[in-house]
Amino acid sequence: MPHPPRRPSPPLLRRALQTLLGILALPLALAQEPAPPPTTPGHGSYTIVHVAKSRRQTADHSKFKILKGPFKDSDGPAVTRACLTCHMKAAEQVMATSHWTWNIAKDGKDGFGKSTLLVNNYCISIIGGNTESCARCHVGYGFKDKSFDFTRQENVDCLVCHDTTGDYEKEKAGWPNPGVTLAEVAQKVGAPSNRNCGVCHFFGGGGDATKHGDLDDTILKAPRAEDVHMSRQGAGMDCIDCHASDAHKVGGPNYVIPADRREQAKFAGESVSRMSCAACHSDSPHKSYILNRHYQKVACQTCHIPTYARGKLPTNTFWDWASAGRLKNGRGYKEEDANGYEKYNSIHGEMIWARNVRPSYVWYNGSLKFTRLTDRITVPADGRVILNPAEGSYTDPNAKIWPFKFHEATQPFDPILQRFVAPYTAGPKGSGAYWGDWDWDVAIQKGMDTAGLPYSGQHSFVKTSMLWPVTHMVAPKEQALACTECHKRNGLLAQVPGFYLLGRDHGAGVDLLGFGVILLTLLGVGIHGFIRFTHGSH
Amino acid sequence: MRRVVLYESFERFWHWAQALLILTMMLTGFEVRGLGLHLFGFQRAVALHNILAVTLLVLIVFAIFWHVTTGEWRQYIPTRKFLREMIAFYVTGIFKGAPHPVRKHRMAKLNPLQRLAYFGFKVLIIPVQVTSGALYYYYPNLQHALGWPPASLWVIAVVHVLGAFGLVAFLIGHIYLTTTGHTPFSNIKAMLTGWEDLEDDAYFDET
Repeated sequence: MPHPPRRPSPPLLRRALQTLLGILALPLALAQEPAPPPTTPGHGSYTIVHVAKSRRQTADHSKFKILKGPFKDSDGPAVTRACLTCHMKAAEQVMATSHWTWNIAKDGKDGFGKSTLLVNNYCISIIGGNTESCARCHVGYGFKDKSFDFTRQENVDCLVCHDTTGDYEKEKAGWPNPGVTLAEVAQKVGAPSNRNCGVCHFFGGGGDATKHGDLDDTILKAPRAEDVHMSRQGAGMDCIDCHASDAHKVGGPNYVIPADRREQAKFAGESVSRMSCAACHSDSPHKSYILNRHYQKVACQTCHIPTYARGKLPTNTFWDWASAGRLKNGRGYKEEDANGYEKYNSIHGEMIWARNVRPSYVWYNGSLKFTRLTDRITVPADGRVILNPAEGSYTDPNAKIWPFKFHEATQPFDPILQRFVAPYTAGPKGSGAYWGDWDWDVAIQKGMDTAGLPYSGQHSFVKTSMLWPVTHMVAPKEQALACTECHKRNGLLAQVPGFYLLGRDHGAGVDLLGFGVILLTLLGVGIHGFIRFTHGSH
Repeated sequence: MRRVVLYESFERFWHWAQALLILTMMLTGFEVRGLGLHLFGFQRAVALHNILAVTLLVLIVFAIFWHVTTGEWRQYIPTRKFLREMIAFYVTGIFKGAPHPVRKHRMAKLNPLQRLAYFGFKVLIIPVQVTSGALYYYYPNLQHALGWPPASLWVIAVVHVLGAFGLVAFLIGHIYLTTTGHTPFSNIKAMLTGWEDLEDDAYFDET
């Protein structure tokens, strides 16, 4: 297991100075220290930056003859060939990223990706025959099964990230929707906006807001209260203002690379990661010295994202595959709850959706330990397998208390081989797909055959949990958690282990002992005084 | 009877400032501990507690300076002389109207029990509270540097809290015993005004 890099310790002198400053700052803690001058001129400041940036562009793509096409409907590769005539290294760069490979391999670990063995508890896996429908979000053309050629440069989809018109749309296997006039899109390419990232990242898990809880397309028109950064009434930032790129490698967490959003630089030239809050806000943004010191052990997100799914859309918190497949007259059906959220769908089973959800809090050093279809699983006594437990503890200097969305589910499992399975779900009647024929054993057998993985022929359903770090939808500071939401008995951190927390922990019997001493003193004084005054002296 | 200034103005200022500081720190401390007090609000209580701690430290530095330079520190040297008589007085004599076994004197204004109690207060309770409080405050700065186990903050907190409970008990006994003067309020009055009536013979006997 790779250890996350230790945070470089500040030089001794600096630390001593900080401690000294702490002492000096003590009496000032109440008095208002002068606020540092704002680094940005106010609301929508990033919008101004973006406009200025676009004015500085040196090329007008609508003037390039090669982009006038015309391109045949759905002929994405033709557009890519045109792009590559100038940007000859672009495809090569994209092909080196996980947006393309859908696989992560590092430090001898392999198979942590959508196209490989990674397993989740929403749609489970794509490799059991579902690739074609899921590859709508692949940054390429024609990814329908294992036969996809990952080395063909013209298969790279430039437009999905660089479309500025909003008209571009992808279909099965990632092909462009035939209704899209590719030449018009190609002539208006530009830097990715929130919409470009959002067409996939807002819709993870098969629908808007389903997967992450802190990412959905309400962000595009969010009021400031929903997301101070991306709201146009807030800073007006784009995804790529934090998720900076280097040679098409977009900064972001990966499955096996510690997603440490703290100070570590991600790219050459960065002193701190653009994705760490401290990159813009510094590591001591509060007026209070004590609040600033929380930074050591508490992620900014913990206090500043009091709830997730704060837009109008609910996120999925529970997905019960075990109850899928109930039919009415031989057909699948859907049911909605009082809020209009889908509470049952034959193809998924029972579901729970929620808005304004309080996160769960967990020690996290940036590493989530993901599960693959080939990993042997020992189901714990409580019957609940955590597919990606967070690493870290109080004693880990890189770990902080982080907010997570816990996604609960039941999903098919091979109890003989003790592995999770990848069923074939999306297919028509007669194909063996679960949504066509409603037979788990057939669907799992088909899926595992397609994936080239063994299956014992028996399945059960196992409870699983997944952890999704909550980091977007940062709320205005007035909505940040108050001290006593954690510093009290049975507060938000009631279950976070490994340390003494003021106001939460009292120490067994200490209060009892203390009040006992006080009571005895009062009793002694009372008796003494009573005798004195009844005996009439003094 | 003879009226003398028993408590100098600095001494009175020191006493009452310390009383006020410790009382407020009790309230803020027990509020952040979550014992049901809601007086200042958590964040303000924490800030206030820390500010008052530093203020108290400054006051203590001045008080030490005053005690050393005036020689008044000798008043607190514990003695066993008349200690038994003092205990006997509080256990039985006081109920029968027996005379106080030790007479106050400008140079010996504390009886042996007071000497013992205040000496303990100065060398035990206050240092324990100051040290545990400072360790508590600087724990985030110290923990990784010193490699202390996570449970050490719990130990620090428990010591600090037990000290605080001890202070409350001390305060109760202290206030009660002020009522054992000539009249129930004469001792408090003396601490406020500085003047106290001392018995003439006592004054002359002991000089």
